[in-house]
Amino acid sequence: MVVRQYQEELKYLEKINECCWRIKKGFQPNMKVEGVFYVNNTLERLMFDELHNACRPGAIGGFLPGMKQIANVAALPGNMAAFDMDDPKSIISPGGVGFDINCGVRLLRTNLFESDVLPIKEQLAQSMFDHIPVGVGSKGIIPMNAQDLEEALEMGMDWSLREGYIWAEDKEHCEEYGRMLNADPSKVSMRAKKRGLPQLGTLGAGNHYAEIQVVDEIYDKWAACKMGIEEKGQICVMIHSGSRGFGHQVATDALVQMEKAMKRDNIEVNDRQLACAHIKSQEGQDYLKAMAAAANFAWVNRSSMTFLSRQAFAKQFNSSPDDLDMHVIYDVSHNVAKIEEHLVEGKQKTLLVHRKGSTRAFPPHHPLIPVDYQLIGQPVLIGGTMGTCSYVLTGTEQGMKETFGSTCHGAGRALSRAKSRRNLDYMQVLEKLEQLGISIRVASPKLVMEEAPESYKNVTDVVNTCHAAGISKKCIKLRPIAVIKG
Amino acid sequence: MIVWLEDQKIRHYTIDDRQKLRDITSLEWPKTFEKYCNDVDCPITKNEIDQLEWFIGYAIRLEFEDDCQKYQQVVGSKAKDKKEVKVPSIKSTNPLDNLDFDSDAFKNGVNSIAKLLNVPKHSDHLITLQACSKLVCNKLNEDAIKQFNSVAKSKSLTKTIIGPSFNMGDTMLDNAAKGLSLLYIQDLRNLQTKINETIVAAQNITANPKTDIKLGKVGR
Repeated sequence: MVVRQYQEELKYLEKINECCWRIKKGFQPNMKVEGVFYVNNTLERLMFDELHNACRPGAIGGFLPGMKQIANVAALPGNMAAFDMDDPKSIISPGGVGFDINCGVRLLRTNLFESDVLPIKEQLAQSMFDHIPVGVGSKGIIPMNAQDLEEALEMGMDWSLREGYIWAEDKEHCEEYGRMLNADPSKVSMRAKKRGLPQLGTLGAGNHYAEIQVVDEIYDKWAACKMGIEEKGQICVMIHSGSRGFGHQVATDALVQMEKAMKRDNIEVNDRQLACAHIKSQEGQDYLKAMAAAANFAWVNRSSMTFLSRQAFAKQFNSSPDDLDMHVIYDVSHNVAKIEEHLVEGKQKTLLVHRKGSTRAFPPHHPLIPVDYQLIGQPVLIGGTMGTCSYVLTGTEQGMKETFGSTCHGAGRALSRAKSRRNLDYMQVLEKLEQLGISIRVASPKLVMEEAPESYKNVTDVVNTCHAAGISKKCIKLRPIAVIKG
Repeated sequence: MIVWLEDQKIRHYTIDDRQKLRDITSLEWPKTFEKYCNDVDCPITKNEIDQLEWFIGYAIRLEFEDDCQKYQQVVGSKAKDKKEVKVPSIKSTNPLDNLDFDSDAFKNGVNSIAKLLNVPKHSDHLITLQACSKLVCNKLNEDAIKQFNSVAKSKSLTKTIIGPSFNMGDTMLDNAAKGLSLLYIQDLRNLQTKINETIVAAQNITANPKTDIKLGKVGR
């Protein structure tokens, strides 16, 4: 890492407009293109503080400042995080996708209102907790054997459909229709499959959660109506989870392969986590197929949890999921690389778009979004953390032009995990949540501190920035009343 | 097989002429068959399987024509159940195929239906008829009539029209684009609904969701 004074660092940063900054080449070595980031005033201060701290002589930063991270990505050979498929030099990077492949958020609506749920809130939370196993080392309650897993990896949500765990409409309202067609389970190591098999239908740990939420505010009545959200007070269920140990193992295996490929093909990167290979190379192709299988795993996982939540609700309300109108509003992926068509300088190009910790946000009339959302744009689900709000945004034309149809995915950490554990007491956090009227079920108290609202940036700031920058539009605000976490 | 079809169903030749065709062991038979194909106007000459298929199809058609009235009654009664056909004149002249589509009487009929339904006239009366039939199918069945009454009261109709916005500098062009895109979305919706119905039909056969609480384990 280059060591410079804070004042010198600032010279590489340029404000484009109210909430958009550009990082010039040279900020980190090897930068091939300029980086761009979107912030509002509060987040701007936070970002610059991070940078300032890291520049103080002798200081050891908790983590690499956000700006440096962006610059490192820009140092990958090729475009920022979108690579031209036709350019033989273009690369694919497992680090650019992340370890939790196809981690994502799914939102279910119900026809219940807050008043229906409040009297049995605790029972409902317990019922959800009983149905969906959480935590590190948890095991799911859907029986699976090795053959089932192979099929699920290849078929994605089509497998869940075939086995009857989900409804036909769920597939319609899911990115990629819940199945990556290029998935090839034979490119996945035995180890990954062994880790993944018992974990299907479990939530996992870390920032993953299942929440029962209430519609708190509707900003865009018409778009909300299209999603089946009619009024304030309506109850929704949000599920945030990924591909569990399976995706992690796929990414780890790929990184090892990539390092070999990098030596062979003379590719240089700033951060070992961003190891990569040419898309056209054997390693690149193998990773794409294994990643697709992991993405399918994540969709099957979320589908299984959809099934389990529907069961939990149906039992508590002595009704069927159909009668409770528990439809999937949408399912977004945060960590995935996809081949998409985009306009670059007026020309249509096939790009491999890496989205890590960002959400696809396609505008109205885009052919890849479900027909129900053709007029309003793709719903973008932004999950909060325990106790904070979540948002539903919609994609815009401007976002398509500026960010290859991408937007934020959540708040992002403000304190590192270790620092949260040092500074916060879990009893206090729990008390505070109780005051806010939020029931909580967790597997480990350590997590309560790591995932406390104080450890994260304010999600409202992040969402408002995206809204103000025009890369997506605010639609609905959701407030949690019950949280289930690892 | 061919012989059986000719004997029982097709009956193109008189019984005496069939002698040669019946003699399937003779060396002459392929030639006879070729001639037979020519006589019944079979368009396929190369592939035997295709030929056989054609013959079967032909036989079925002939069979159908023989008993035309009987079959049409079945189809007709089904059609009656599905949608209320509002135009009795067409129903009574049942063998539709025999209608002279270009007769003046037919054209006048179409035009009067169009007038009744408020459908603008097209220079080709067949297109006008198509438009009429679409309207009847979509808007005049029982469901649609019920739905229309509720839609008319709710605000969603006007809202949808505001939906997509185009800005190409010409209001006419914008409106046309708007209309087209709305029609396209409606088409897509219908397609997606059909896909979903197919999936559900398949699910009825394959689905077997299971859970086993004993397998569950909460982690640390």
